[in-house]
Amino acid sequence: MRRPLVELRGVQRRFGQVQALVSADLGLFPGEVHGVLGANGAGKSTLFNVLGGLLAPDEGSVTVDGVPAQMRGPRDAWALGIGLVHQHFTLVPALSVRENLALGARGRSLDEIDQAVRATMDRTGLRVPLDDAVASIGVGDRQRTEILKTLLREPRVLVLDEPTAVLTPEEVSGLFGLLRALADEGRAVALVAHKLDEVLAVSDRLTVLREGRSVLHVLRDEVSERGLVTAMVGDGVAERILPGTPVDPSARIEVEAETGRADARVVGTLCAVCGERLRNVTLEVRGGEVLGVAGVEGNGQHELALVLSGRRRPVEGQVSVPAEVGYIPQDRRTEGLVGTFDIAENVALGLGRLPRLGSGWLMSWQALRDEAEGIRTRFEVAAPSTRTFVSALSGGNQQRVIIGRELALGAPMLVAENPTRGLDVAAAAYVHGELERLASEGVAIVLISTDLDEVLGLSGRVVVLSRGHLTPVPAPECSREGIGAMMLAGGGESA
Amino acid sequence: MSQADLALFLEAAVRLGIPLAFAALGETITERSGVINIGLEGSIIAGALGGALGALAFDGAGPGVMAGAVAGLTIALVFTLFAVGLGADQIITGTAVTIGSLGMTGAVYQARFGATGTELSLPTLAPLAIPGLSEIPVVGRALFAQAPTAYAAYVIAPVAWYVLFRTSWGLELRATGEAPTAAEAAGVRVRLVRAGATLFGGAMAGVAGAHLALAHAGTFAENMSAGKGFIAIAVVVLGRWNPILVFFAAMFFGAASALQFVLQALGFDVAYQLFLAFPYVLTLAALAGWVGRSRAPAALALPWEPRR
Amino acid sequence: MSGSVAPARAREAALLGAGAVVLTLGTGALLLLLGGYDPAAAGSAMVRGSVGSWNTFVSITLVRSVPLLLSGLAVAFAFRAGVWNIGAEGQLYAGAVAGVWVALTFSGLPRPVLLAAMLAASCLAGASWALVPTLMRLRLGIGEVITTILMNFVGIYMAAWMVHGPLQEERGVFPQTDRIVEAARLPTLIPGSRLHIGFALGLVIAAALAFIMSRTRFGFHVRAVGAAPDAAAVAGRIDTRRVLMITFLASGAIAGLAGAVEVSGLTYALYENLSDGWGYTAIAVALLAGLRPGGVVITAIFFGALRAGAGAMQRDAGIPAAWVDVIEALVILAVLGLERMRASRVASLSGGEGP
Repeated sequence: MRRPLVELRGVQRRFGQVQALVSADLGLFPGEVHGVLGANGAGKSTLFNVLGGLLAPDEGSVTVDGVPAQMRGPRDAWALGIGLVHQHFTLVPALSVRENLALGARGRSLDEIDQAVRATMDRTGLRVPLDDAVASIGVGDRQRTEILKTLLREPRVLVLDEPTAVLTPEEVSGLFGLLRALADEGRAVALVAHKLDEVLAVSDRLTVLREGRSVLHVLRDEVSERGLVTAMVGDGVAERILPGTPVDPSARIEVEAETGRADARVVGTLCAVCGERLRNVTLEVRGGEVLGVAGVEGNGQHELALVLSGRRRPVEGQVSVPAEVGYIPQDRRTEGLVGTFDIAENVALGLGRLPRLGSGWLMSWQALRDEAEGIRTRFEVAAPSTRTFVSALSGGNQQRVIIGRELALGAPMLVAENPTRGLDVAAAAYVHGELERLASEGVAIVLISTDLDEVLGLSGRVVVLSRGHLTPVPAPECSREGIGAMMLAGGGESA
Repeated sequence: MSQADLALFLEAAVRLGIPLAFAALGETITERSGVINIGLEGSIIAGALGGALGALAFDGAGPGVMAGAVAGLTIALVFTLFAVGLGADQIITGTAVTIGSLGMTGAVYQARFGATGTELSLPTLAPLAIPGLSEIPVVGRALFAQAPTAYAAYVIAPVAWYVLFRTSWGLELRATGEAPTAAEAAGVRVRLVRAGATLFGGAMAGVAGAHLALAHAGTFAENMSAGKGFIAIAVVVLGRWNPILVFFAAMFFGAASALQFVLQALGFDVAYQLFLAFPYVLTLAALAGWVGRSRAPAALALPWEPRR
Repeated sequence: MSGSVAPARAREAALLGAGAVVLTLGTGALLLLLGGYDPAAAGSAMVRGSVGSWNTFVSITLVRSVPLLLSGLAVAFAFRAGVWNIGAEGQLYAGAVAGVWVALTFSGLPRPVLLAAMLAASCLAGASWALVPTLMRLRLGIGEVITTILMNFVGIYMAAWMVHGPLQEERGVFPQTDRIVEAARLPTLIPGSRLHIGFALGLVIAAALAFIMSRTRFGFHVRAVGAAPDAAAVAGRIDTRRVLMITFLASGAIAGLAGAVEVSGLTYALYENLSDGWGYTAIAVALLAGLRPGGVVITAIFFGALRAGAGAMQRDAGIPAAWVDVIEALVILAVLGLERMRASRVASLSGGEGP
């Protein structure tokens, strides 16, 4: 059998009390595109960082060309020919694309770098606006810049972390074509991701990570989608969730029409809202329905969420939303919770003004603590008591606290922004279940998510947010390709 | 006002602006790497005392300036250990360093020269006129008949600009101040770069202090830095973190300080203390007026941990 | 964020404070040795000069701690909200000037009225000294550290101008005001000593602040804004600007009070260099106390003792009193260092957010 270019054997890594990798094996072969699959929390990012020399394994070996490799930083990885393309771009927004490409390419003059950039751009067909500041270019261009940056070092091994998360469906196929071409040049290309169908579309070989272990190593042709799903999430859960599998949304809409919620109240109206990132948004939200807002990151989602939930006033236009609107922010650690407060204090943050929990200038701490205890039990927050600091909780438990708190508001409307980001499969399923339950109880839900499957899977009605403009999606076009086209048309990224 | 008066005013403006320029140029590099050093004032006063003691010990102003630079760098080292090494809050650390340095220089001075502060007489850094250039009417003496440290500042400003914007070192430094995580991923040793930039700033502030003692006052007095370190930080903002603009902003402030002599010469009889307050009021006004037109390095004053 | 300089639990704050003191005294002793002084002699002189007798304790240490207590409370309150008020020094001078002016102008009023007017005027003056930095932060987004420091210098020179000019004594000889009338002087707290009711006032304000922070809605908002301004605005729907403004101005007011209390209770006149850097010491006082009002009472007395002892240290052991400033700086650094060590220990235990 051919020898892999890069091999990881029995790699272990822990962070404090969390064992991120228990025992991971991986073999990357030249000329192949290798898909590393795993749900959120399975250890993919840690594996990615170990491959690239950003993290050292506690145990286990990393071998390159059969020789054990001790990488103490990204430079060591580059010296061995390993190039990483990060999910959260490691670009400096204030600098131009050209300067970003030159960063870290020490030893070469700026002219040499320019020449290398042009040569690579010509060879691969990648195009980036060299003189623009990174802060001003779109997400697709940023990713291309990130890839170009790595290619400049002529890596023999190229590893990408969740590259499709921020791309429209059309851009995804462009990317996959590029990866295929790079593999055909003799490089070993690896893709770390959780979206099953995408990974299947491009990979020759697959490895599945679950809970820090590599549980399956297989060639593409040797396995079925169901087999992969089972490997990713284990038997019992596989039925309920099929990560990455598109759900046919038209069926959903039909069901809604049958039950006929014509009597639903209009709960929130948003007319002609203008703001820094939001332009001319007109929206109506009804009780008992889940309105899905699809779109690629960076198109005004956060501003829309803040305005819809009443946390911020629009620069122009009118918003008419209920006095109390629940809000599950995307950045739970900076906007949803105060890390140095305990659970009760965080509950008090959101619920402190409710009449039943004490209004007036004194805080009713006893009532608030009791309420927090109720939330802790009802939502099964894994913490010893309400005096536990929120910063000590896992992401999933933090999200439970937020959801419990926002639900306890009893508000007629709830805005959820990427509510399952960074959560493991079980936690994500729990959140989806809660949202569906709320909708069935007549609450109006706005689900803003960059995860198209999540939007399609839960929403009765879908709109697309692109460059600050909202466009409703008529039912026949409610497929991934249709929405993808609208995401492009609504504002258009540079091709 | 006669031409002679104008020339005197300009000469004083440059002379007063040079220490600010040194401190501000150093702080520009520091802040471009993402660190705000409120302890700059501490480095200046340390540089002043170091300059004085060095000049006395080695009987010359030149060694005094070197000693001043070393003293400023040492104070900045304490700041660096806590703010960059440990990741402690930069603002509070800087404030502590300034308090401590002012106290220590006062204590050392008192111990050596007695609590009553008998006037030291130091070997001074005499003005060195550049032949030819200093003959230019009006501005000649102002620009080219200054202490040698001034000429060093004239050179350092454009050199700093060039390094910052035209070399790969400068690119790495700027990346560290804008997006340290991205810089780290590109292989830049973020903490090392920040430490180097901060120590450089401290050394420059030390030279500023030495200049104050040796070229300006000719002696050392407790607290003689009088807030110049804080004004320098404001000057960096006004100069938009661009070494050339920062230099000119520092000169502008020198002019503002020199204004008091002009007004006194013109016969305005305003209380002495209000003159003393003027530079600080001016700084506040300038900060308020310049707002929104410049952007700080994105990662300025934010603590940063390496990933491992 | 105040979370970076104060532990969330009171017990931890106390341990951290105690640890910082030990660390500081140890380092201080080392530095003294390096400087050729005798740390033991310094230490015993300090102890004698601060707590050597009941009278020393009350009439010197506690008296010296009053301005530190008030300005320390002002600084702690501001820091808790995430407002870096380094301007207590200038605010204090503004308050002193205002208080003295009221005392000199309305000297005929009965005692309770005059005292109340003085103290109210000083609060107003201190708050107005904080107004410019407040507006510059809230309207223009300019960091308050530099602006409050600049206002310190303006305040010091403004007070100096006052005693050289408009408020100078009748005789016109020294740069100081006339002595204020009996009715403008704070009564003594403990008969036979120099301790005035300013100390009690400080205790009352400390208790009030403690109550506000732990039991009231506003105090909760202050803590939230200081710990996590974004979460406070989004999850808590708190008007952060209003909270910041009120806190900043209140901090200035309390610092202003410190100035007037010193004049009214101890010096009975205003002169140049009234303050010995109290506004800056207040930062050390506040940080050592973990920004807690109750803790500030203790740390203010501690620093009062340090300063009282410094005088004795200079007389008896020949060590310049300016070393106390170095000790203050060391305290701040020790608190910061220990806080960082504690934070990294906590982070590694909880594991951070997984992959």
